[in-house]
Amino acid sequence: MLVAPLLWRASLRYLRQHRWLLSLSVVGVALGVAVVVAIDLANSSARTAFALSSETVTGKTTHQIIGGGGSLPDSVYVRLRTTAGMPTTAPAVDGFAATPAREGLTFQVLGVDPLAEQPFRSFVPSGESLDLGQFFSPTSTGLISVKTAEELALQLGDRLPLDIEGVAREVTIGGYLGGSETGQSDAALANLLVVDINTAKQLFDMPASLTRIDVIASEEEVQQLRAVLPDGVDIVAASTRSETLAQMTRAFELNLSALSLLALVVGMFLTYNTMNFSVVQRRPLIGRMRALGVTRREVFWLVLAEALFIGAVGTLLGLLLGVLLGRGLVQLVTRTINDLYYVLSVREMSVRPLTLFKGIALGVGATLVSAWMPARSATRSSPSTVLRRSAEETEVKAMAPRLALVGLVLGLGGALLLVAPSRSIIISYAALFLVLIGFALLVPVSVVGITGILRPLAGSVTGAVGRMGVAGISGSLSRTSVAIAALMIAVAATIGVGVMVSSFRTTVVVWLNNVLRADVYIQPPNLVFRSGEAELVPSLVEAIRDIDGVSASYGIRHVEVMTSVGLSQLSATETRETRGSMFAYTDGDPEAIRDAFRNDDNTVLVSEAYAWRHGLTRGDSLTIFTDRGDVTFLVGGVYYDYASDQGAILIRRLAYENYFDDRGYSGLALYVADDRPIDEVIGEVQETAGATQQILVRSNRELRRFSLDVFDRTFTITSVLRLLAVVVAFVGVLSALMSLQLEREREFRVLRAVGLTKRQQRRYVAVQTGTMGAIAGALAIPLGLLLAWVLIFVINRRSFGWTLQMDITPIILVQAALLSIAAALLAGFAALLLLNKRGEADGEQQ
Amino acid sequence: MSSSSTRRWFLWAAAVLAAVALASLVYTRNAQVTPEQSSSQGLQLAEALGGDTTGYTKALAPRAFDFPRDHAAHNDYKIEWWYFTGNLTGEGGRAYGYQFTIFRSALRPPGGTAADSDNSAGWAADQLYFAHLAVADIESRTFRSFEKFSRGAAGLAGSRIEGFKVWVEDWSAESVNRQPGEFFPLRVQASDEDLSLDLLLEEGKPIVLQGDRGFSRKGGGVGQASYYYSFTSIPTSGVIETDGAKHDVVGKSWMDREWSTSLLDDGQVGWDWFSLQLDSEQELMYFRLRDGDGNASWSDGTLVGPDGSSRHFETSDIVVSPTETWTSPRSGATYPIAWQLEIPDLDANLEITAAMPNQELDVSVTYWEGSVRVVGSLRGRQVGGRGYVELTGYGEGGAIR
Repeated sequence: MLVAPLLWRASLRYLRQHRWLLSLSVVGVALGVAVVVAIDLANSSARTAFALSSETVTGKTTHQIIGGGGSLPDSVYVRLRTTAGMPTTAPAVDGFAATPAREGLTFQVLGVDPLAEQPFRSFVPSGESLDLGQFFSPTSTGLISVKTAEELALQLGDRLPLDIEGVAREVTIGGYLGGSETGQSDAALANLLVVDINTAKQLFDMPASLTRIDVIASEEEVQQLRAVLPDGVDIVAASTRSETLAQMTRAFELNLSALSLLALVVGMFLTYNTMNFSVVQRRPLIGRMRALGVTRREVFWLVLAEALFIGAVGTLLGLLLGVLLGRGLVQLVTRTINDLYYVLSVREMSVRPLTLFKGIALGVGATLVSAWMPARSATRSSPSTVLRRSAEETEVKAMAPRLALVGLVLGLGGALLLVAPSRSIIISYAALFLVLIGFALLVPVSVVGITGILRPLAGSVTGAVGRMGVAGISGSLSRTSVAIAALMIAVAATIGVGVMVSSFRTTVVVWLNNVLRADVYIQPPNLVFRSGEAELVPSLVEAIRDIDGVSASYGIRHVEVMTSVGLSQLSATETRETRGSMFAYTDGDPEAIRDAFRNDDNTVLVSEAYAWRHGLTRGDSLTIFTDRGDVTFLVGGVYYDYASDQGAILIRRLAYENYFDDRGYSGLALYVADDRPIDEVIGEVQETAGATQQILVRSNRELRRFSLDVFDRTFTITSVLRLLAVVVAFVGVLSALMSLQLEREREFRVLRAVGLTKRQQRRYVAVQTGTMGAIAGALAIPLGLLLAWVLIFVINRRSFGWTLQMDITPIILVQAALLSIAAALLAGFAALLLLNKRGEADGEQQ
Repeated sequence: MSSSSTRRWFLWAAAVLAAVALASLVYTRNAQVTPEQSSSQGLQLAEALGGDTTGYTKALAPRAFDFPRDHAAHNDYKIEWWYFTGNLTGEGGRAYGYQFTIFRSALRPPGGTAADSDNSAGWAADQLYFAHLAVADIESRTFRSFEKFSRGAAGLAGSRIEGFKVWVEDWSAESVNRQPGEFFPLRVQASDEDLSLDLLLEEGKPIVLQGDRGFSRKGGGVGQASYYYSFTSIPTSGVIETDGAKHDVVGKSWMDREWSTSLLDDGQVGWDWFSLQLDSEQELMYFRLRDGDGNASWSDGTLVGPDGSSRHFETSDIVVSPTETWTSPRSGATYPIAWQLEIPDLDANLEITAAMPNQELDVSVTYWEGSVRVVGSLRGRQVGGRGYVELTGYGEGGAIR
């Protein structure tokens, strides 16, 4: 390795000379890595926060005794505790409470019996010991973490106002949670409010019932317990609930990760381009080195080492940027989880080593993979022949059909995978990536074909300069096709995601129109928008129904129940409404389905997402664990519903009251008599609620708008990712065009010498880059639509089980094409600007 | 100085101590309160208790007892207990001692503020109940002890007048017949891990009102007294189960009932309490409170005759001197485990010896409560017998100050 120092010096000089190109490459890698890392951070932070809060609350609990309708009678616990020889148990009443003291802060309220708690959980009050008498006091005493108390500027004895499902409550701070002895981190306790079980019963208005009974028991003891539990009460593993919740967001997280990888893929194109360019430029140099005795292997490793350098610097920057970006994204992810799934508060970023390792592996790995081909090609620089650019381009052109063939095979393989009967989201995305790469490999052939057609056309419109511009595209195919492919993929992603979101939105709008038929909708504030389990104060329900001008009303109740397929949302609906059908069914005779549902207590309907998730179809049976024990229901039909990706079971109110003791309502829909203005009724409802409960009263139109607002909000993160992919693509195009123009430097000087004006040069660049943008845009439209199709009919279906109507808004396609051309033009001129600056600098030097 | 029981003031304090200790205990990883913790918390407690009797009814003068009402809880007094001890014999003469106690400690005065009143139902806890269970298996020298806590609400713990019952979760003492006014027979049931107790206590000697007609002074202060009555000889039979093996047992139990509001003297560090059942069909209750120097600052005693009649003794009438000590390897406390008891008036000279040394309870509060053997003479006659002794305040620095 005598020559090594020489090699490295040459390499360094080259990199220094091309620092713009170098920095763009670094930026490309950095952005790709940053997006992946940021999403991973956001996901893992959300996951960690969730695990932490469920671990804190679960403690050493092995099993939980639960009731049918989300609660169970006190008597079950009292009987277990007053019977000899029973396993260790502790009662729990828990729920969530917002606080007017701070917007956005939600406490997980845990009501415990301190005298039964000790084997289960430990939250040492730090500092002074707590007075049990005070904790038991009827004046609602609560314990919060020291940190939260500091944040809210609360002292011992201060009152903490709470808002529970719209009802104002308060607790007195009686002590602090945490302290080093507990082994509980601040983050785990930050949102916890521990109260006596009696206080919790008052806060959540559960005078004679518990949320659950925590148990520490062996399997043998579980059997023993099961034998003595009354009907309607069951014992399940403690992890059941948290696992169900964790699974809810799995598809959501997976989809985010996949989208984030897209940015990396675009980044890979960029590195490939840079490395390829550097190799081509130095071919003569490499040839001379080979003549001096540098081996092929050394050349290969030199190029890879350069790539490694770019990859390492880019990755490092990407990690930093990713952590910063992650801070923003974690808010978006948390908000979506709170809108759609469950109450979650992420107090801190959890930067796991695994995340960083993943970022490093992806960043460096992707760079090395994309540098592999250029490095291989560099070794082919023979010491005897100095390969000319033109020769190489001819070679690429000759290779184009072969590449296209490979692309076709990959694309078809991907397509086969997509239509294959599988439910795997990972396979779907893998297939999607195959299709994308396949399409990218088709780009060289397409470019040759399209420019062939365009060249005479361009000549007639823009003259010789234009013709040259277009010809230059296929002339430097190795360069241009990479840039076009990168741009195409980014634009196609924009189209795909855009069309998917707009299709989804249109579907939801149509569905809302069908479902929302009443005039006024009333519900208590829910911490999780899509769950809607908050309960209206019972006296209020009657009072509202009695309001003058309310011609009809129907109530709905949402509860969480245990079923043969796991925890599920059950919605009990009053079927007073007879004006036509609210629901559309996936199959079967709607009239027959409706009749069965209205007349048979043992018929339920399930939403499409629910049916998909649990593999149910019409005619299947579903066992629900009710207050009367296990009851088997017939799935009477599957209805279209986009309210929640978890899906729901719909049961007739009368049947619900038959099987469950709960008589609460989660919402009311009112029909207003024609002679009464709706606004007046809304006013009267608000007045009726008064100070009893803060409720949300919305007109049909307002609820519709609100629902769509939430819909849009949940897609914010998707849009952000889409935008990021475009930014990476733009950097890619910029770098590709810049290297292209750099190569043309000498060509331009010659042209300038023979009379090419600056204006003509600009036109040349405009035509060339504009055409490239147009080609990318043109190719991106079919690919984008394909992508949209896959997202709508494969990914969304496999992730959430929804049937969406594909709705292609032409404006999205036009926007995409314009974006593509504009990005290319912008990049072209930016490259030109830089080159001219360089040229001037060089001129001065000379 | 006057008379009367100050017997388990330690436990009284222990009750409230437990309340405070628990609050931190409950959320600590350690199941045990270390001696340091208990003593420092005990200290705080005694101070806290000093001025905190407002709102509670005090024992001020002798009262007319009202049964069965008075067998059940008196929530307007701060502290109360149902205390069972006994010496039992199994197959082949295998000897057992047992202690089963349920304590009630009020967390706040009765009535409370107006805001409290509508919350009093359900799980709202004004009363803390806790119980201790200990069994000494003399032959194998095994001593097991357990404790249990619960709020006196929601049916988890409490007491009942008609068809008498007092319970802390699954530990209970309950009238078997559930007939109005019929206290005995009582069934005592408690079990934990490897120990289970199921005893039937049948009517024996009549009730003994301790002190002055059941009014038992604790000190010179107004209201420093308790209401205190006992059943000193209760024929007992049943089953003790240890490590899965059942042992039929018979013997005699002793039951104490006491409730009060007032407090310990500042100078007292602990007390020794004796309940002796002699084979002459006589029973002797004696206690003394010790000051910092280990001297008896207050004592009191009652001798119950075969016919159930009782004779009360003043402080100076009985002399007790420890003759042997034992140091607990667990807590490091040194307890006397043998005594010489003399009552000159009765020409009584009794030697009292622990049936086995280690009968220290391994519960939130450290104390020694164990089975003893008695030999000696009374009015010139040789007597023997068995009994129970309770020793408190022997730990590091004393449990209560």
